[in-house]
Amino acid sequence: MQEKENLLDILTQTRQAMLKKDVFLLNQLSNRTLHTASIYNDSDNIAVAVIVYALSKIVEREKYTSYKEWPNFFKECIKGIDSSIEAIKNDDTERLISSITGIRKAIERLSGHLREYIEDVFRKASINKASRIYEHGISLQQTSELLGITLFELAEYTGKTGIADVDLSITKPVKNRIKDAEELFE
Amino acid sequence: MEQKILVFDSSTIISLSLNSLLYILERLHEKHNIRFIITEEVKYEIVEKPLQIKRFELEALMIQELLDKGVIELPAVIQISSKEIKEKTFEILKAANRSFMARGEWIKLLSAGEGSCFALGGILREKGIDYALAIDERTARMLSEKPENLQKLLGKKLHTPVKMQRGNLDIFSDTRIIRSAELCYIAYKDNLIGISDGIRLIDAMLYAVKYKGCAISTQEIEEVKKSLHN
Repeated sequence: MQEKENLLDILTQTRQAMLKKDVFLLNQLSNRTLHTASIYNDSDNIAVAVIVYALSKIVEREKYTSYKEWPNFFKECIKGIDSSIEAIKNDDTERLISSITGIRKAIERLSGHLREYIEDVFRKASINKASRIYEHGISLQQTSELLGITLFELAEYTGKTGIADVDLSITKPVKNRIKDAEELFE
Repeated sequence: MEQKILVFDSSTIISLSLNSLLYILERLHEKHNIRFIITEEVKYEIVEKPLQIKRFELEALMIQELLDKGVIELPAVIQISSKEIKEKTFEILKAANRSFMARGEWIKLLSAGEGSCFALGGILREKGIDYALAIDERTARMLSEKPENLQKLLGKKLHTPVKMQRGNLDIFSDTRIIRSAELCYIAYKDNLIGISDGIRLIDAMLYAVKYKGCAISTQEIEEVKKSLHN
């Protein structure tokens, strides 16, 4: 577990933001683990980034609260966060993993549309965080392995971002690269 | 005639397949004396793994078809074994993933798929074979062509100073890298696309691959288009 104080602070604030339905704060919190995740390739930090981002998207959508299963799901999420906080305080990586898995399992207990929506939110959250890690300079494949998503979906997503338009990404004059290609295919 | 080889990373074949442009590989292969090779690691990422996922099963089947037709081949056809590539990949990954340090930790940048392409490239270089790598993703290209840019990018994004171990990067230098964008350019110049709409066609192709993951900037696309007028 890397940078546990940071993780602890993020999860404590996430709990409060969930109760206050503070979507903006949740979104900000989800990005705070990305630097650590990129440097250490740390799965705990990545899992927290995905969960917090997904929760920000779930809390954002008012219509979810109208489903009868919503109150119980929300309670399970808060319980999972509380358990994660305790696990970090006690340096218990195994419990942290099981607490995070617990939140994911709460989705499996849902049914119908709500389950579909929330599964989709988590899938998209993984792709979004993967794209951010790729943006930090970690390779496409390394990132896809860290987040457990396919290279195809990550390539599709990153293609729609401005990652390739950053000046530092340009590493060779266009005419030289074309010359290389022409020499190869002459 | 001298044998030339283009080693493909997963990212380049993915950009082409998501745009239904894999047929240009077949046409380029027919027209030019060049072999298209992928490593077993790349094959796993672009065929075996997506075959298990309904959403990308068709792309995987289309790539498999190119392997069946011999348009794309595995290194065994040029007498290079998986074992040799694996050993070299280990060396490559050790160098790549011990090149940049932040907060006292080496940053793990590359994975086995990308590493295996550089490994195969290194073996081809030792054998004196003319080759290039086809890589659409950004990090591996930056590592090879302008590691100082990668150092700056990592530092900027991670908000911390990043130290670069220059000596570990020699293994990546002097590698010719092209992208799916350049393959589209060559196919366009060779009239292999099968659509006749002049400059609009190349514009459409370059933006299509960009939007499916090819790390080419808008500025570079405009320069490619300009070069066709000169």
